Amino acid sequence: MFLTRDDAHALALRLLSLSKADSCVLHVDGEEAQSLRFAGGGVTTNVATARVKTRIESHVGGRIGAVSVGGLDAGELARAVARSEEIARLLPEDPEFLAPLGAQAYPVSARYDEATAALDLGFLAEASARVIAEGAARSVNMFGCAAAGRRFAALASSSGLFAYDRESFIDLSTTARHRSDGWSGWAGARHFAMARLDPAAIGRRAALKAARDEEPLDLEPGRYTVILEPTAVGELAQWLMWMLRARPADEGRSFFSRPGGGTKLGERLFGADFSIRSDPGDEIAPEAPFGEEGLAQAPRRWVEKGVLESLSRPRFWARKTGAEAIPQAANFTVAGGPTSLEEMIRRTPRGILVTRFWYTNLVDPRSLLLTGLTRDGNFLVENGEIVAPARNMRFNVNLGGVFSRIAAIGNSERVKTEMGGAAICAPPMLIEGFEFSSRSSGI
Amino acid sequence: MTIAQNPEAARQAASLPRLDRARLAELAEAALTAATRAGASYADIRIGETRRQFVQAKEERLDEFFESSSPGFGLRVLVDGCWGFYGARALEPGAMAAAAERAIHNARAVAPIRVAPVRLEETEPHEAEWIMPLGIDPFAVDAPEKVRRLIEVNAAALAAGADYCVSSFSFATEERLFADSRGSRIFQSRTRAQPSFEVTVIDKGSGRYATRESLAPARAAGWDYALSCDLIGEAARAVEDARRKLDARPVEAGVTDVVIDPTNLWLTIHETVGHSTELDRALGWEANFAGTSFVKPHMLNTLRFGSELMTILADRSQEGGLASVAFDDDGAPRERAEFEIVSKGVFRNYQMALGQAHLIGAERSNGCAYADDTTAFPIQRMPNISLAPNPDRCSLEELIGGVEKGLYIVGAGSWSIDQQRDNFQFGGQMFYEIRDGKLGEPVRDAAYQGRTISFWNSLDGLGDSSTYRLCGSFTCGKAEPMQLAPVSHGAPAARFRDVTVLNTAREV
Repeated sequence: MFLTRDDAHALALRLLSLSKADSCVLHVDGEEAQSLRFAGGGVTTNVATARVKTRIESHVGGRIGAVSVGGLDAGELARAVARSEEIARLLPEDPEFLAPLGAQAYPVSARYDEATAALDLGFLAEASARVIAEGAARSVNMFGCAAAGRRFAALASSSGLFAYDRESFIDLSTTARHRSDGWSGWAGARHFAMARLDPAAIGRRAALKAARDEEPLDLEPGRYTVILEPTAVGELAQWLMWMLRARPADEGRSFFSRPGGGTKLGERLFGADFSIRSDPGDEIAPEAPFGEEGLAQAPRRWVEKGVLESLSRPRFWARKTGAEAIPQAANFTVAGGPTSLEEMIRRTPRGILVTRFWYTNLVDPRSLLLTGLTRDGNFLVENGEIVAPARNMRFNVNLGGVFSRIAAIGNSERVKTEMGGAAICAPPMLIEGFEFSSRSSGI
Repeated sequence: MTIAQNPEAARQAASLPRLDRARLAELAEAALTAATRAGASYADIRIGETRRQFVQAKEERLDEFFESSSPGFGLRVLVDGCWGFYGARALEPGAMAAAAERAIHNARAVAPIRVAPVRLEETEPHEAEWIMPLGIDPFAVDAPEKVRRLIEVNAAALAAGADYCVSSFSFATEERLFADSRGSRIFQSRTRAQPSFEVTVIDKGSGRYATRESLAPARAAGWDYALSCDLIGEAARAVEDARRKLDARPVEAGVTDVVIDPTNLWLTIHETVGHSTELDRALGWEANFAGTSFVKPHMLNTLRFGSELMTILADRSQEGGLASVAFDDDGAPRERAEFEIVSKGVFRNYQMALGQAHLIGAERSNGCAYADDTTAFPIQRMPNISLAPNPDRCSLEELIGGVEKGLYIVGAGSWSIDQQRDNFQFGGQMFYEIRDGKLGEPVRDAAYQGRTISFWNSLDGLGDSSTYRLCGSFTCGKAEPMQLAPVSHGAPAARFRDVTVLNTAREV
């Protein structure tokens, strides 16, 4: 279910008028979305859904009770307001409670496209057909998912805060599999505007990766030069962004904790050519203008030329430590560079081209040690050329080390990862000494 | 038409079910009638509500107390061999006819890319009501009581020397009516509980720190189960464990023998056996996200998955099982979900949902469908999947006694596996040295890697039922859009030879 700004505001005012608490915060969000999946060149499942939920947080004497209810039934919503107050009164006082923010100024969000918001399953079937045709032309089987829709989120408080954001989205990805079942390729994209998405190009890209008839090579595990495509870089960087939090760093349980106390803010932790920034108004990867607690998102440098510049910090922790409150970034851009992917391949004597990763997981947050596997398009590069598909391998790498051994960076572009819906821009990277620990037969 | 009885229902908590079943039935009837009148050859609907509660305490303070309700329905129709689906957060009579129209429109919209028509097997209609036997309904317990318990857990940890402790209770109750155009009308209610904590101990001098999570498993159960886990007692032991980890020697990387406790092995079973034997994955239907499987249909009855000691059972009837229900989300009775996946090491059966069986020459599904929300499309999901214990006596001490040099692994840690479920890497909460058949001190920074088939074929010691424990997760992810399913895995302690162990602190 999709509410306009006016509808969301009216709902918020109505619910806030029912509140008998000292203060109250409402989060209302919803979506209308449709998606279909295809396998072996034909449709399998499809869904169309309309969902909305309202989270009511009531504050009574520094106590907080929170209740969420799905749907827009007026009686259920009124009962939820009362229930949240009942819970708050029963709970102990929260020493970290802060009264909600009042009215804030937010940057304007620009990620809603009427035509994209109005897409239906028929359009997604057509787009999928174009992807499937690219596979048929190259004799590979196509599997994938196409989704589109629109979402909104509103935040309101009894202190006068009201924020509203909406987005449209179209999301298309495909995995091409060789008819022998022995090799695969992947491509995908996500945008807020359908005009930015080219289904045939996505299908072609995945199909070309999969249409290799050679037997894939089994490489020896060990340290390799890798050329990471933008999606792979975006996934590694996403883990880093999740860890950029001040409180665990201050408390001594983070990679960003300084031994003996304090954080590593201001220290060079990565290579001089590695930077991550966020900007809700980013033209390629826009995001919501407000974050947790209603804090305004703003252009921000998180890592600049290898130096840690920002850690996210909730309002309570900011007050306690006398530092700035910073919401976690909803989007981010890994800064690009001048070297094309093709040039990276040309200058590599021996290395591996990686399309994307799979099942990455943090092994040790102290060292930012990450494990995972390559997937859907791993190729051996020798003497500046792609010579053959190379079977997937598991990696165990420290993110600090990876982003300190960057030999070249390409143009940063919007990527689609499997790690949440954050808007991410990332470049391809040439990285030295990337550790693969074992082989996988998984294709 | 069969009538399923639930003789234990009389013991149910008085507060459940909460929903008006007659009203749900009326809504379902309206949707199914509209769908079949409009041309659907088959239609089914899941309609009801999921309620959740999450309580979390950090050190001395309550961090969050949150409850939610998610009412809704999902109508699935079959039109000219294509599925169509529409789901919404609404339980209103007026929404049903429109939903039927929309679902049928969707089926027709995707028809241009249909390759083969969906073919459904014959199914028997069931009229049934099943209310999970439940001790104390967690939603009927006062909020302050839950908070008090968690604060006590944290206090015990801090008193034992922890620098930090975060503890939580998660509860969920699903009340859902399944109805289909073949006459089934099945109402079910199930509740699950997950008590949890994590303690952190910091060595401020070196900046190193260690954590230890609770070993209490998630279960289909109520408040009484959460209390029975004795988180308070475990918290103090966990602090001692974390401190021992801080002081422990680094693990020696290499190939070694391991004895794996069920608190760790359940996750290995889930990832290597549970997911690899899902038929939709084997058919490629999950190729774009969750992945496919190295277990191909031609391997049925021939693949030597593991040693003779390995028998993997599916069920929906284990007490406390997170996938224990009387009927799956296609309306198939639980009896169908009682089968062997691996029998004495040989692969015997895939898990299947409605409409999949004929693709491998089987007659009908084996009751393995679930939708994580009423508004989600039901897909093939795991029933409870467990490693059968040794019928002959074999204690944990005997398993350890058979290891000259190795490790004993307790509790689940970081996990990762390739998309075909071959190459895996798992951490753990505690790794203890074994020397000359005796359990020794903990070591730190360890994880184990393996390849599924060679790992299970290296199983050479299996604990008996005295070592068996049922563990599980609320949140197994699969499909696009992602769905999160609760599932349990039981296992005895087990011994594996020649497993690769990593030192995760090595600079990479």
